[in-house]
Amino acid sequence: MPKSVKREKPKEKFSYDPTKVLSRLEEHGKRILEEVKNGKNPYFDIPMRGRGNVYFDDKRRVIMMGDKLSRRYFLNVAHARKFMQTLLMMAYVKRLVKERKHASLREAYYANKHTIPGTRKNTFEDQRESDPIIEDLERMLGVLREEMHLTADRRGYIYGDVTIRDGEDEFNTSRLGMGGWAVPGTVEHLQFVEVNVDYALVVETAAMADRLIEEKFPRRENALIVATQGQASRGVRRLIHRLHYEEGLPIIVFTDGDPYGWYIYSTIKQGSINLAYLSDKLTTPEAKFVGMTMDDIKRYGLENVTEKLKGIPPNKKGGPTGDYKRILEEMEYPWFQRKEWQRQLKMAIKMGVRIEQQALANKSLEFVAREYLPEKINNGELLP
Amino acid sequence: MAEANQLFKEFKVQSVSEFFRRNAAMLGYTGKVRSLTTVIHEAVTNSLDACEEAGIPPYIRVELEELGKEHYRVIVEDNGPGIPEKYINHVFGKMLAGTKAHRNIQSRGQQGIGISGAVMFAQVTSGKATRVITSTGGDILEAWVKIDVDKNEGKVVKKERHPNPRGWRGTRIELEVKNVRYILSKQGVYWYLKLTAIANPHAHIELIEPDGRLIVFPRSSDEVPEPPVEMKPHPKGVLTDDVYRMARKSRRTTVKRFLIGEFSRTSEGKVKELIEYIAALRLIKTETDKNVQEQLYERLMNGEVKEVLRSFRGYTKVVKQVARLMEKPPEKLTWHEAEEIVEAFKYMKFLAPPTHGLRPIGEENIEKGLKGILKPEFVTAVTRPPKVYSGGIPFQVEVGIAYGGEIENGFELLRYANRVPLLFDAGSCVTTLASRSVDWKRYRVQDPEHTPLVLLINVVSVHVPYTGTGKQSIASVEEIQNEIRLAIMDAARRLKTYISGKHRTLHQVRRRKTFEKYVPEIARALSILTGEDEGVIADYFLKFIENRFKARETRKAEVSESA
Repeated sequence: MPKSVKREKPKEKFSYDPTKVLSRLEEHGKRILEEVKNGKNPYFDIPMRGRGNVYFDDKRRVIMMGDKLSRRYFLNVAHARKFMQTLLMMAYVKRLVKERKHASLREAYYANKHTIPGTRKNTFEDQRESDPIIEDLERMLGVLREEMHLTADRRGYIYGDVTIRDGEDEFNTSRLGMGGWAVPGTVEHLQFVEVNVDYALVVETAAMADRLIEEKFPRRENALIVATQGQASRGVRRLIHRLHYEEGLPIIVFTDGDPYGWYIYSTIKQGSINLAYLSDKLTTPEAKFVGMTMDDIKRYGLENVTEKLKGIPPNKKGGPTGDYKRILEEMEYPWFQRKEWQRQLKMAIKMGVRIEQQALANKSLEFVAREYLPEKINNGELLP
Repeated sequence: MAEANQLFKEFKVQSVSEFFRRNAAMLGYTGKVRSLTTVIHEAVTNSLDACEEAGIPPYIRVELEELGKEHYRVIVEDNGPGIPEKYINHVFGKMLAGTKAHRNIQSRGQQGIGISGAVMFAQVTSGKATRVITSTGGDILEAWVKIDVDKNEGKVVKKERHPNPRGWRGTRIELEVKNVRYILSKQGVYWYLKLTAIANPHAHIELIEPDGRLIVFPRSSDEVPEPPVEMKPHPKGVLTDDVYRMARKSRRTTVKRFLIGEFSRTSEGKVKELIEYIAALRLIKTETDKNVQEQLYERLMNGEVKEVLRSFRGYTKVVKQVARLMEKPPEKLTWHEAEEIVEAFKYMKFLAPPTHGLRPIGEENIEKGLKGILKPEFVTAVTRPPKVYSGGIPFQVEVGIAYGGEIENGFELLRYANRVPLLFDAGSCVTTLASRSVDWKRYRVQDPEHTPLVLLINVVSVHVPYTGTGKQSIASVEEIQNEIRLAIMDAARRLKTYISGKHRTLHQVRRRKTFEKYVPEIARALSILTGEDEGVIADYFLKFIENRFKARETRKAEVSESA
């Protein structure tokens, strides 16, 4: 039986290059200095964030950032503080990258927080001030936070016959015990030495990922399990992106059958408004969806293990709220404008239920690894 | 029932003096505080008027001596032209006598009963004569004046002559008054003189209080205002009685000459028009149909006098009759005819009355006065162009605003009529109403009660419409109220600009500091990024800030000059 999922040829190459970040930082620094010397009001051009500067690129099928810029001047009462903070953070990043050290967002905040001499003001009052500056830098410099050696909390893990080189260490992620390998905050510097799997299965919940590992699904199906543990972290999304583009791995997403699960899928596939400026690096529009679908309920006789959707349905007074509202919103997303998806979403509203991955355990513990996934994946019963 | 004869046994002709003795309130002698202020007001006003008419910068000294409980000697001395001997008993003794009462002229007082009223008040409270020391340059004359109440006449009870070796010129009067009280209230002497000094910056005014303390309101302007000139009345501003009496007194040969010569804005052409209007009015009155009559009046109001005339048969006869009336001697003018003239005036159109007789304080002098006495940090004044109320009475409004500096917190309204401070009945005064009608918040005065703000309003007119004989409150005539409002808003706009500018300057300094405080941080970061010296970078930034702020300031100055 021909497999419906096949590894493809790589499209991108490993591209981590710390000198790129350094030279961009220096460029900006020199430009600012020149402007001040010439009596010009120095500024940064920072691509605007938010819904207003985001659009869905139909061709590439990802959420992209528009070209609206906000100009941050030094000599502007409203900008001066942020201007200073931007420079402080740039200097900090330069040191990090140069010294090959990594810092968490919180460390970056504490490292740069101090009282401005002669005032009672701090350079940063709280982390809510420093985090957005780092996002600004990502957008302004066109580099990932991870490339600037600033990392977020790690979340998610992988398990499968993939050998990774991380600094001086080399390891196979299927030989690290049942827990697999925890994905770090930054995956830029990782290199894939050997990738002996046919596809990557991205799993929403850790419980399901653990179940699949225990049932030896990765070995049996020659798959790589990627556990996102809820909404996929940037590290995980970047890793998925790299595996797809650098290694040609097909990506199949396995989430709960509910609006949150579908949203996780949508983020991996099309990106998010918040990180639209990173869509190039974080999204995998070719990803496909295996489940859970509303059809699964009938097909596998799961009617007894569904749960009711929360909130008030659209046809009832006061509705729609809660889950119903979210589903209706998702129906409006351009990338869900496919008949397969519209059908699923409409069905969910009509049935008024959601279904979790773990509900499959109702059949048997082995059911998901032995029947559900192999059947659907090998038959190509995937949603776009 | 009592017989008329019996009733009339008690009938007695009362002299004017007697009337005012009994009705002192009408002259401002009510209350112990106000009575004293009124006495001083009358004396000081006379001094100011005299000095101005003589073109002398006034130097006025007011002295109060406490002689007993509620018993004072009031001394007012000036450097004016002095009073010729033969006029002394008239000036101080006779009510309704003066140099202005019978003329159409802007004046501080109006009826000419001021100082004689004070003399009378002194006399009826203390029984003492008023001592007058005056010199027109020659000998010094010392006279004690009393009023013969029954005859309404001044009586010099004692007179002495003194040599004048130093050539002193001026007038000093001393009045002994009882039932008055000196206190430092807003209705008292001190406050009155202070307000007088503000509105008369060309005057030097001194006050020696009963406890011997000397208070000086120094002169802040060297320019003695021109005395007001007499203006002919405007046809729209006269009553039948005015026309009738003026005609009686006129030396012109015909009514026509009288009208042209003694009214403003009245010409040969206007008299021809007047003839037609009177004729038209006479004819309209013959019409029996009320509706038709109404229509005709209306058309007349629209200026269609010729058409109205033509609608009557034989109208030329009536026109000729009226024309004949214009040729008779004015003293033969009957009351009815005067009435016809005044009625016709109402339908006619005239140029606005001349205003050359109005003597405002002037923007510059208001500013000087406010600045000199109140020492504010900001002052501005607006003198509006003259306007007319009730058809033909010219008036003019001035407003001054003083803000900050030594002014205490709180809103203070200084009211004046023809430069005379009004201290009483503020509540009903048109100035109060107008100033209340202004939304001060719009002018950056957020809370007037806690803002150091003084508003001066002076209403100038040949006839200020006071609400009562006390002359302390101006009636709320719509035209006047509007003018005051406009003047206040005009001045307040300047205040707003000033306050905003002040905020802006403060703001600028603060802004500059905001930028400067970041410089060390920025320099350190840029030094790391570029490898340049931290100190050098900091200098670039500081210089840049300095240049930018300098440029901004000069730019702003240019703008405000051209504005």
